[in-house]
Amino acid sequence: MKIGIPRSLLFFYYYPFWEELFQELRIEVLISDKNNERIMNKGVKYSISEICVPMKVYVGQVLDLVEQGADLVYVPRIVNIRKGVTLCPKFLGLPDMIKYSLEGMENKVLTHKIEQKSDDISDWKDYQIFLEVFDVSKKELKSALNKASQKWQEYRAMHRKGFASDQLLEDIKRTPDTGDLTIGVLGYVYNVYDKFVNMDLLGKLREMNVNIVTFEMIDDEEIQQEVDQFAPRKKMFWEFSNKLLGAGYHFLKSDEIDGVIHVTAFGCGPDSILGPFLDIDSDKYNTPFMTLRIDEQTGESHLLTRVEAFVDLLRLQKTKEARKCEK
Amino acid sequence: MKVSFPYMDTPVLYYKLLDLLGHDIIIPPRPTQHTINLGVKYAPEFACFPLKVLMGTYLEVQEMGADTIVTSGGHGPCRAGYYGKLHQKILDNAGLDVDIIVFDAPKDWRPFLRNLKKIKLNNSWFRVLGVIRTAYALAHSMDRIEKLIHKNRAHALEPRKVSDAWEEIQQKYMEIEDRKDIAGVEKWARKRLAGLEYNFPTPDKRIKIGIIGEIYVVMEGSTNNDIEEMLNELGCEVERSHYISEYIDSHLVPWKWKDYQHILDKADDYLEIMIGGHAKRSIGHIVDYKERGFDGVIHLKPFGCLPELVSQSLLDRVSDDLDIPILSLSIDEQMAKANMLTRVEAFLDLIKQKKEEEIA
Repeated sequence: MKIGIPRSLLFFYYYPFWEELFQELRIEVLISDKNNERIMNKGVKYSISEICVPMKVYVGQVLDLVEQGADLVYVPRIVNIRKGVTLCPKFLGLPDMIKYSLEGMENKVLTHKIEQKSDDISDWKDYQIFLEVFDVSKKELKSALNKASQKWQEYRAMHRKGFASDQLLEDIKRTPDTGDLTIGVLGYVYNVYDKFVNMDLLGKLREMNVNIVTFEMIDDEEIQQEVDQFAPRKKMFWEFSNKLLGAGYHFLKSDEIDGVIHVTAFGCGPDSILGPFLDIDSDKYNTPFMTLRIDEQTGESHLLTRVEAFVDLLRLQKTKEARKCEK
Repeated sequence: MKVSFPYMDTPVLYYKLLDLLGHDIIIPPRPTQHTINLGVKYAPEFACFPLKVLMGTYLEVQEMGADTIVTSGGHGPCRAGYYGKLHQKILDNAGLDVDIIVFDAPKDWRPFLRNLKKIKLNNSWFRVLGVIRTAYALAHSMDRIEKLIHKNRAHALEPRKVSDAWEEIQQKYMEIEDRKDIAGVEKWARKRLAGLEYNFPTPDKRIKIGIIGEIYVVMEGSTNNDIEEMLNELGCEVERSHYISEYIDSHLVPWKWKDYQHILDKADDYLEIMIGGHAKRSIGHIVDYKERGFDGVIHLKPFGCLPELVSQSLLDRVSDDLDIPILSLSIDEQMAKANMLTRVEAFLDLIKQKKEEEIA
C-alpha cells in the first residue's frame, strides 16, 4: 500500500515525524512533487475560488498524488496541539473538504483526529486507526511513534540552531549566516516555504545577503511569554497564529532583527486579525514592518521590487544609525 | 456613561436590556453605505465583512457621543470571537476613547460577572436577573412575530405594508416596561398583521426557501440587501437558520442546547466535528429544510469567512445528494442589489421549473 503525503500545509513542520513514522511501520510513502504550475492549476480548478492559496495547493497535491498511484492520501485532521487552542477552521474541516468536494476521493483519504497536549503529536491514542489500516500491533505503533517523536525533536533542535525548514528538508547548503542584515520572516510554514507561491522569497533574501529568522527558531518559552503578555486572558484561537504573534512581538522588540516581513496568503482569516496588531505596534518599537501578500498569480517582479525596496530601506537606516553612533 | 451596542436585525433587544437597567443609551443607526465606508476605511482589508460593518457602527455611535459599547464575544475558532479586541485596538490607535465590553459565552463565569458588574449600575442582582428574563421573553416573542412575517409577507397583496407594520411593531416592543407587557404587544402585533390583505395559495403551490450561513449577514438586512423581503416580494416563504432567540437558546442557555442538537446531528455525514462559527449548523439546516419540504436554500457568507468557506466547499455534494438547489452568495462591501436580485431571480426560475417538472 502506498500512502501519499501532500507537500503542503504542515508538511514543512511535521514531515520528519511522518517520514520516520511510516518508515518504522514499513509503509511505502509517496510525497507529492514540489509545488509547480501544473499542481497549482489543478488546485485552482477544483477548489472554490475564495479559499486561500495554501488550501488550493493542498487540493492540487492531493489530486496529483492519486494520479501518481497513491492508494490513500494522508490527511490528518489536526484539531489542537495545545489545550484550548485549535487550528484554523479550514484545517478542522480539511478531510471533509477533500472527501466531499473532490470527486472519487471519499474512499481515498486516510484521516484521523489529532488532539494533543503539545506540538509533539506522538500520543498513540490518536493513531488507533493505524492498527486496523496497516495491520500493525500496538507495540509496533507505539515504538514507531516514539522514534518519530525523537526525529522530530531533533528537527526542532536544528531550527533553534538557526536553520530554516527548507535548509533542513532540502539539500540547501547549511552555512552559518554572514549577512549584514537580519530580517524576521513571519508567516505560516506553508507560505514561507512554498517556493512556487512566494516566488522563492527566502532564496531572494539570501541572495541579497540577508540573514533570515523564522518563528521556528525562537524558543517556545519566549513565544509563550510574548503571547501571555499580549493577552493574559483571551488568547487568539489559532495555534500557529499565536506562535506568529509571539514570534512577531519578539522580532519587533529584538535588537538583532532589523525588519519584519509578514508573508500572508490572500484571504487568510487569522492573519487579518493578527496583522493589524503587529502593524500598529511596529511603530511603537520602531521596527519596519512589511506585509507581503501572496496568491496563485505567478508574476514575480512586483514582489521582487517590494522586497528589494524594503531591504534597501533597512540598509539605509542601518548606515544612518551607524554614522550617528560614530559622531 | 453613554452606552451603545452593535446593530443586528433589530436594536430592540439590546436597547431594552440596557434601558431597563437605567442606562443612558445611544441607539445605533441601521448600517448604511456610510457606515460600511467608515468601517472599510478603518478595518483591515481582509477582515471579514461583519467586522467592517461593526467597526463602522462603532465609529458612528462614537461620533454620536457613546463612550461604552456592549457586545457579545465567542470562543473561536471563528474570527468573530476576537472582534472586540481588534476593534478596541483600532479605536485606541485612532485616539478615540471608547471602551468595548465583550460578553463571552459564560464558559468562565468570572469575567462574565465582572462585565455584568460594569453595566449593572445601582440595580440589585435580583433586578438584573429580572431584566435578563424580560429580555429573554422579548427575544422569543419578537422572533415569533418575525417568523410569521417571513412566511406570510410572501402572500400579502402589498408586501410593503407588512414591512411597515413590522416597523410599527418593533416600536411598540421598544416601549414595554416589564415582562407582563410583552404578551399584550404580541397580541396586538398579530392582530395588526391579520388586518392586512393576503392571498394564500394552496400549500403545494407555495415556494419555501431556507436561508443559511454566517449569522450576521443572514440576520442583518442592510448587509444582504434585505434578502428576506426580496424573496417575500417574489412570492417565496422564507425561514432563516438564525433567529436571535434560537441563538440565545443554543449558545447561552446550557439546558436548552439539546433542543438544537438534532440540527447538528444531521450534518454528521458531511462535517465530522464542529469547526467553529455555524458551519456545521448550516449544513444541518440544509438537511432539515429538505426533510421539511423546502424548495431551495440560499447560503450567505461574508467574503473569506473561514467556517462558511468549508461549508461552501461541501454544498455541491450536499445539493446533489439531497436533490435540493442551493445558491451561495458571497457578501462584502461591494454587493449591489441589482446583482443579487438577478441571481436570486434566476435561482427562483430554476426552482419553479423544477417544481413544475416534479408535479407533472
